[in-house]
Amino acid sequence: MLKVAIVGCGKIADSHAWQIRRIPGCGIVAACDREAMMAAQFCERFDVRAQYTDVETMIRETAPDVVHITTPPESHYPLAVQCLEAGCHVYVEKPFTLHYIETERLIELATKLGLKITAGHDDQFSHVARRMRKAIASGYLGDRPVHMESYYCYELSNTGYSGAMLGDKKHWVRRLPGKLLHNIISHGIARIAEHMTSANPTVIAHGFISPVLKNLGEDEIIDELRVIIAEESGTTAYFTFSSKMRPGLHSFTIYGDEGGLALDQDQEILIRLRGKRHKSYAEKFVPPVSFARQHISNLRTNMGLFLKRDFQMKAGMHYLISSFYRAIQMSEPVPIPYQEILRTSRIMESVFDQLRAQAEQRQAPVQEPAHV
Amino acid sequence: MSSFVQDEMLIGPDELILITGASGFIGARVVLRLLERGFRNLRCLVRPPSKEKFKRALGANAERVSIFPGNLLSREDCTSLAKDAVAVIHLAAGRGEKSYPDAFMNSVVTTRNLLDACVANGVCRRFVNISSFAVYDNGHKNTGKLLDESCPLEERPDARGEAYCFAKTKQEQVVAEYRDRYGLSVVTLRPGIVYGPGNLAISGRVGIDTFGVFLHMGGSNRIPLTYVDNCAEAIVLSAIRPIDGSEAFNVVDDNLPSSRQFLQRYKRQVKQFRSVYLPKPVSYAFCYLWESYSAWSHGQLPNAFNRNRWNSLWKKTEYSNAKLKQRLGWTPLVSTEEGMSRYFAACREKMHA
Repeated sequence: MLKVAIVGCGKIADSHAWQIRRIPGCGIVAACDREAMMAAQFCERFDVRAQYTDVETMIRETAPDVVHITTPPESHYPLAVQCLEAGCHVYVEKPFTLHYIETERLIELATKLGLKITAGHDDQFSHVARRMRKAIASGYLGDRPVHMESYYCYELSNTGYSGAMLGDKKHWVRRLPGKLLHNIISHGIARIAEHMTSANPTVIAHGFISPVLKNLGEDEIIDELRVIIAEESGTTAYFTFSSKMRPGLHSFTIYGDEGGLALDQDQEILIRLRGKRHKSYAEKFVPPVSFARQHISNLRTNMGLFLKRDFQMKAGMHYLISSFYRAIQMSEPVPIPYQEILRTSRIMESVFDQLRAQAEQRQAPVQEPAHV
Repeated sequence: MSSFVQDEMLIGPDELILITGASGFIGARVVLRLLERGFRNLRCLVRPPSKEKFKRALGANAERVSIFPGNLLSREDCTSLAKDAVAVIHLAAGRGEKSYPDAFMNSVVTTRNLLDACVANGVCRRFVNISSFAVYDNGHKNTGKLLDESCPLEERPDARGEAYCFAKTKQEQVVAEYRDRYGLSVVTLRPGIVYGPGNLAISGRVGIDTFGVFLHMGGSNRIPLTYVDNCAEAIVLSAIRPIDGSEAFNVVDDNLPSSRQFLQRYKRQVKQFRSVYLPKPVSYAFCYLWESYSAWSHGQLPNAFNRNRWNSLWKKTEYSNAKLKQRLGWTPLVSTEEGMSRYFAACREKMHA
């Protein structure tokens, strides 16, 4: 049996535990949280025998094969290093690390030690995302991606996580280099990174604080972001993050030179966008029928998955964790190539660097023009 | 016979009372009631973004209290808050959380931090823990029986499918642990449905609108309402009245309406909408099937409807406020008739706004 340990017993740890319980041949042997009460409530609800407040003790006493790090992002890097050095494979929740250099070091360390590591980009493994990947692999787009558009929205409210974050000037989210964006945009950026090849694409970012947040007195949380990403091969992408846009999309569209694919994560819909036009008025009448047929096909697929009990909200996480465990046990490739994790991290860092520079520029005193 | 002396007070008017969750729906009323009763040394914990709202709620009285913007997850904040407080009214809780860990952290970890600070402070003579009817296990008694303070608490609160129930039950356990270990005088108040202007939602005990149409589940059940001012009065009395040892009290008003009466009046006085009545056997079967499917599908549908929840919310039950009246001398300040009129008027006002 693959022995699994969880470090960090907050909200996302629940999702991990639910999915791990569905995977045969593995079991959660221990849970750790700096707050003993949090570890205790997790262990009670998921019937885990060993609870800890110290990672080192947990690893020494329970010797897990794999550790899931589900703590706030600031601690991802040091904890992952600690677990890898103790001989454990590591699943790190998103965002993988705070800085690109940390991502690079973790991957180097895992490779050097012959261990495996992955990032919690589970949206890329939802049923619809897998269907998209399959269509791309079958050559539907043509030669290579020409352009992508990724939307990742987030509705800020006065309750729960965002309420706590907005109300607390010392909240851990505010300490992240990219603040709120750092904790959220990984999924949307990773979708783009998957289909690029360059290690260091060009990134142009523009971010701002929405009027709604400004009216609440917020002066540091950027909740609107627009990004252009381009690589030398000619592939480009737009990324949009918005807290105000409605509907709050989680979607991804990719265009090749022969056709395109549009994915809606919330509705789990994949639509094929035909590259060639129909003749004359057929272009006005045939596509609506084709789209209607595709929507019905999506409905059938989703209902089929539901009836098969394989349509959990976190089905993507289940697939990612299963694939990662298979990679560990059967020496298969890791589900997310390391280059992709590195690229995601690089793009995010570039975005946050630019936002920081823009903020500094806004705060800098305006210089009087020199009089001649 | 009443077992309290009307003018006997545990707390003097100049002694410090700490109120957590002071800016909330009930908290602001508690602060006003304390001021009305002549207590002059009130420290009010509010979440920083709620500070202005709290000041508006208190009006001119805002100058008479000490407002402390802080967070109970911070031990330093708890230490500063509890310093010199002889009574603590702990209202702050993680309401509306759907996630178990979040609800637990914001109700249980925070309570533990506050209790630690109170114990270290060493002068706390009364800790008032605001709990809820949600903590009761209503499954072990026959339909139509009385739910009072002697009824057992949920043994498996995680099985209710309600993070709030889990957190509140665990909160009571932590408070009880500190009461036993440190001899704290604890009064636990378990209000039913606290209603009034400021909380205009129709209680889940009446029905649910999850599926697009309002499913009326309550039928002829009494709804354990308590008007916000009545609840605030009970909280104030529980902080200031002397009691031997520690006690728990249910808080419900007199002359409780049935779910059907409440819904009819709501439709007449606020707005008309379509509702479908689910008789008890149907709603029970629905909960049973949902629970079974949730387990069979490994949580494809969350365990939001289940037999525990049915027992808690929709089983026919009677309620009593006898202990509260007898031991604390509580009487409702606002009759149910008047309370409902005010509530419906506020609902209408909000709708037209």
